[in-house]
Parts: sequence; C-alpha cells; structure tokens
Amino acid sequence: MAVTKFKKASLVVLGEKEEAVVSVLQDLACCEIMPEPTDTRTHDWAKCIKSADEALADIRSALRFLEPYYSEVSGKLERLLGEKPTVTVEELENLSNSIDLASLSSSVKKIERRMLDIRTLLSKLDSNEEILIKLRQFPYSLAIISSGTVRISSIVGTLPVAYLERFQGLVAELLASDGELFVAPFTPKETDVTVVLMYDKKKADEVAEICEKVPFTKLDFPPELEGTPEEELSKIERNRTELAKESENLERNAAKLASEWVPTLRNLLDYYSVIRTRYETLVNASRTEKVSVIKFWVPEPAVGKLKEKLSKFGEELELIIEDPSDDDEPPTLLENPRWALPFEPLTRLYGAPKYGEIDPTVPMAPFMFLFFGMCLGDGGYGVLIAFAITYLLSKYKIVGDTKNFLHLLLLGALSTIAVGALTGSWMGDMIDAFPFLALLKPLKDRLVVLNPMSDPITFLGISLALGVVQILFGLSIAFWDSLRKKDYMAAFGDNGGWISLLIGLLLLGGVKSGFLGGAAGLLGKILSILGAAVLVATQGREKTGLFRRLLSGVLSLYNITSYLGDILSYSRLLALGLATSAIAMIVNTLTNLVLSIPFVGWILSIVIFVGGHLFSVVVNTLGAFIHSLRLQYVEFFSKFYSGGGRIFQPLEYRTRYVKIVGSKPLGQQSK
Amino acid sequence: MEVLGIMLAVLGAALAAGLAGSGSAIGVGIAGEAGAGIMTEDPGKFGLVLLLQALPGTQGIYGLLTAFFAILKVGLLGGEAIEVSVWQGLGVFFACLPIAIAGYYSGIAQGKTSAACIQLIAKRPEETGKAVILPAMVETYAVLALLMSIILLNSIKF
Repeated sequence: MAVTKFKKASLVVLGEKEEAVVSVLQDLACCEIMPEPTDTRTHDWAKCIKSADEALADIRSALRFLEPYYSEVSGKLERLLGEKPTVTVEELENLSNSIDLASLSSSVKKIERRMLDIRTLLSKLDSNEEILIKLRQFPYSLAIISSGTVRISSIVGTLPVAYLERFQGLVAELLASDGELFVAPFTPKETDVTVVLMYDKKKADEVAEICEKVPFTKLDFPPELEGTPEEELSKIERNRTELAKESENLERNAAKLASEWVPTLRNLLDYYSVIRTRYETLVNASRTEKVSVIKFWVPEPAVGKLKEKLSKFGEELELIIEDPSDDDEPPTLLENPRWALPFEPLTRLYGAPKYGEIDPTVPMAPFMFLFFGMCLGDGGYGVLIAFAITYLLSKYKIVGDTKNFLHLLLLGALSTIAVGALTGSWMGDMIDAFPFLALLKPLKDRLVVLNPMSDPITFLGISLALGVVQILFGLSIAFWDSLRKKDYMAAFGDNGGWISLLIGLLLLGGVKSGFLGGAAGLLGKILSILGAAVLVATQGREKTGLFRRLLSGVLSLYNITSYLGDILSYSRLLALGLATSAIAMIVNTLTNLVLSIPFVGWILSIVIFVGGHLFSVVVNTLGAFIHSLRLQYVEFFSKFYSGGGRIFQPLEYRTRYVKIVGSKPLGQQSK
Repeated sequence: MEVLGIMLAVLGAALAAGLAGSGSAIGVGIAGEAGAGIMTEDPGKFGLVLLLQALPGTQGIYGLLTAFFAILKVGLLGGEAIEVSVWQGLGVFFACLPIAIAGYYSGIAQGKTSAACIQLIAKRPEETGKAVILPAMVETYAVLALLMSIILLNSIKF
C-alpha cells in the first residue's frame, strides 16, 4: 500500500569506463538519473549527442516520407494495442554498423525533392492552361505577349465585365490605331473578363493611364508561352503525361525503398534514441579530469541487483548509497499486488502519490470493482464485455497500460455479471420479454435477491450505505496515515472528530427510523457530542485568540453538509444501474413491437435488438466507468489523498517500434 | 376525463425527451465545434475528441428513458389499456419535470465543460483522465434528476 522506498546513489567512475557503466545502468532500467547543472556544451559527449541527433533527423525524415508507401506487416490494431516486434542487442549493433545511412537518406531526399518539383511543375501547367483556355481565340502567336516585338508591347489582365465598354472606349480614344484590344469570350455568368492590350511602345504612358481609370488587374504572363494557344495547349498535355509517368516511376521507387528499408529504419530510430539517452546521461554527469560522478535514484529492492551488476568493474568505480534527505524529492514507484495492478493506471491518471504518501490503489480497487458492477448492473452486458475482452486478450499480445485497462474492464464485467444475476437483469428484461426464453425464467428468478425496478428505495439504501462505508474508510485511512506520521492533532482532531460525529449521527438516525435499539441511541448521542466537541475544540487551531478559534471551530461543523453531499452522490449507483436496465428494457419492448409487422418484422426486430443492445452496452459502459471513477476521485480520494508526485522514470531502453531483448547491454558507440 | 390524464402523461414524456434531448444536442454541438477546431491541427486526436464530445449526450438518453418509462406507465406501449385519472396523469407530468429541466441546462453546461476539456487535451494529451472527469462532474446533476424522475414515476400508483 505504501510507495517503494528510494535510495540516493552516487557513482564515481573512471573516465574511460563511464560509458560502459552507464550502458549497464540503462540495461538494468532501475536508475533515474539526477542531472547535474554543469557546463556541458564543449564536452565530448555533447558532440556524440549532436551526431546522434543528426542520424535521428535523417531517419525521421526518411521515415516520414517512406511510411505512407509502406504496407504494414502486422495489423494496425496490433500495433495500436502495443505489440512490438523484438530485436536482439546483437542484431541492432550489426544493423547500425552495416547500414550506410547517409546514402540511403540522400536517395530518399532525391526522390522527395523531385516529387515536390513535379508537383510545382504540374500546378504551373494548370495555371498556364487556365490562361490559355481564355486566350484560345487569340489570333496571333503568344510570343507577342510574352516577349513582344521591337515596336510592340502587350499586357494581359482582367477587369469587371461592367467596365469593359468604358475600357474599350478609352482604348479607342487614347490609343486609336496605335493599339489593338483582344477581348476573350465570356459567358453572362462570369463577372470578370480577360483582355489583351497590344500597343506601340511609345504609348506606354497612355496605357498606364487607361489601366488606372478602370479596375484592371494585370496578370503576369508566363514567358515560356510562345506559340499559338492551340500549340501551347497540346504541349501542356504532353508535358503532363510525361510528368505523370515520371511521378509514377518515383512512387514505385519509393514503395520499393519503403518495403526494403522501413523496418530497418524503425529499428535504427529506436537504436539511436536509446544511444542518445545514454549520451545525455553522460553529458550531465559532473566530472573531474580523471573521474565522473553520476547521481541517481534507485528503488531500495533493486540496490542488490545493481551492486551485483556493477561488481565486474571492481576497483574502477565506487558506489555510494545513502538515504534521501528531507529536502530531496525522490520519484514515486507504485508497487502493488498483482490483483490490484489493473487499477494502478487509475491512480496514475489522478496523479501519482508523493514520495512517502499512501498509494490509494489497493484501498480503491474493491470499491471500483463493485461500483462499476452496480452502475452497469446487467448480466448480459457483463457477459458480452467479458467475451469481447477475452477474445482481444487471446488474439493479440497486449502489453502495458492497454493490458491493465482491459483487465480492469474484465474485472468490471465479472462484477457486472454478479450484480446482474442478483438483480435479475439479463439484457434488461429479455428473459421475461420473449416467450421463447421462458425456460430460463426459473433459473433467473432463483438468483434474484432484489429487483431495483420494483424496489428502488432498498437499492438506494444500499448505494448510500456503501457511500457511508467508503467515506468512513477514507477517513480511517487518513487517521491511520496521520498516526503514522505522528501528527496526533490531525489524527484525532480532524479525522477522529469527523469519524466519531458521523458514526454518532448515523446511529441516532438508525434509532429514529427504528432500525436500531435504545442502547445504540445512547452510544450515538455520546459519539456525536464527543465528535462535535473535538471538532469545535481543534478546528482553527492555527488561529490566534480564543474567540476566533471557537468561531472557526463551530463554523467547521458546517462541513457536515459536504459529507451529506458526498454520501448522496452515491445515489448514482442506483440511477445508472436503473438506466442500464431501463434502456435494455426499451430495446426489448421495441423489438417486440416491430415483431408484429408482417413479413419484415423479424428482420427489423433483429436489427433493433442487436443495434440497440450494442449501443446500450457502449453508452452504459462509458457511463459506468466514468461515474464509478468519479466516486473514487472526488468522494474517496479527497478524504486522504493529494497526489502530485512524480512517476519514476528510469534510464532504460525507451523505444517506439521494437522491443530490445538480449542478455548483454547494448554496446558502446563512441570512442 | 381519462383522455386528459393520458395526455398529461404524454406531455410529460414529450418534455422529458424533448428538453433533455435539446440540452444534449446543444451540448454535443458546442463540444463538437471545439473538437473540429482541434482536429484541424491534429487529426490523430479524433478518438479522444469523440469521447469528450459524446459525454454531454447522456442527458438526451436519460430524457428518452424517462419518456419511455412514463408512457409505459400509462399503458401506451402495448399491454392492457389502463385507466388514468387526471390526477395520476398530472403526477406523471410532474415526475418528468426534473430530468426535463436539469437535462436541458446540464446538457448545455456539460457541453461547455467538454469543449474546454477538449482544449485541455489539445495542449496536454497526458491529462486525458482529468479532462474526462470534469464534464462528469456536471453530469452528476442530470443523474440525480433522472433518479428523482424515476423514483417519482415509480411511486405513482395506478
């Protein structure tokens, strides 16, 4: 239940052995390095990082280009579920020595650049074609526009149709026989018209004047268009086919490169990432001329293994292990029994415990398990989920948090089946709704203890009672934790006061409503008065002055409303359970309704039954998960847990594509 | 007179499904707009965004649920016809109001929270757990309203 203890380790090692030592640490994956703030820029290791970075950049850009052309060997789902192919240390080392990364990268870059060029050329052809289509009727060779003649110059541009007449008038007026205007044909729908104005070079000023008087937009005419429009158009068509063929060739090459190199590049990417992490550790060590000092956190249970692995270096290093001081902030490593592992991600989701704080995973697990079952509360859905997850788990090799999460859902499904059996809910009222299932009815009825549909108040009582149990449990953990830290004031004042008051009030309530006998009433009175007195006396103990202390003590009793709110919040267990059964019941009712439609009724009813229940199981599972989680986070954790710790991040082989296996540490690269 | 009773119950059901559904529609819409904005930057977030967008959708389901419950109660969904007095009909009508009202407003509020949380996961994808819990805080009140509606409906005797 508690968080693993950590030791602070300092490793003093001879300079020439430091990489070998760090590679052993990385292989062990149990040391979190504490970086030392030193000036590292000029160091040898910084150069190694730089060269690793260059390799990584090459690999990443090659992968980014090649991956779209690569057809994955393993399924997408499998990769999504966290399955990684394994690679041995030797394979990786051979790979990095044998491959000529620079030439591969340059050939990839060449293809990429040419493809980009082709794309630019194609879009250029497109825009030229657009202009040419406008000028299809142009009577002269286009050279007159693109290069002009000794005497004649031209401009191309567009202007709104409404100004065309004015433009023509201006041309006639100012240029007369020194200019010729070509107007491209336009449809009534178009708002702009393309014009070509050819003029004597002497008249350039007048042309400028004309263009200023109307909203004329000059087009940059592509200088390579020299022939007649039709000639140019067919030339464009030819160019386009050529480029398309070339681009096809390039794509084929890229696909070939991809199928050949993508797996290798992925391995290399992981390899260089691992190496880079190692260099980073080395560059951050503090050092003298002869020795380097590497400081790191190591979990107490791993110290023995660490010493054993480092023993082969003999006198070349010295390992100093000490306890963390009060100023240190060691990382957090959660350590839980196997059965609670599926719940661990939930703790991390909220925020890891601080070093020395209680790990809430184990206390939370049984409640989460039960609450999920109550919120979903349908045996049929439980079976569905259990089957789906068992299938996934048996089909794919799932690792890490995904696996934990699936296990969590599987546990939840089991709890759901149990709750469903006890409340008689199997796909809602399916067994009662369909006559052909009547055979199962006696079996179902024998298991039923309580039907929340017909007796919701009892179920509500159970939900609230569970809430009381969990909240008191949370307060007890806080009580115990304060005792452990020897903070007796907090233990007896804050937590003990509330526990006593709440239990007392509950006993009184029990007597009032006739569940409990008279003796309990007296005990209830004593406990609640005691609790209230303790709270009034201790709350606000940091305040000065008797009156202010007393006032904040009395005001603290007002917090009883927040406990009331917390407990009432557990009524969602009933509400969500009812919602599941009711939605399932509606699906069954609709199925029965459409069954009476002649001829197609049975098809429709199958569609409604399958679709409706699938929808229901997805929506209700989401709701059940979120709401039972909320009860843990908001109602339970708030009593004893704050989180805000830092998860232990050891120096290890952190990879993206492959899993590195092998008995010896990944070898040295530099020097 | 018994027709009026049934019609009051139907009005209640209509309000429960209609108002709670509207609240969800607005909420899901708000969250969806935010989600589309995020996905222009990073289409890979589709799964997470969809999850958060779906959260304000539950009010509509609760409303629908209550509506079905109400008309089932007065025998409109098959089964034998039931005599419904005006008072009983009025009771069903009132019983539908909690989820109708709370469903409408909480759906919108949850949509806004979801939209904000979508922004949160855009910047810090590692905080998805917290981003899912915040909208669920809003939903509490829809759940409580649903609970009240169902308990009230259940307690009306025919």
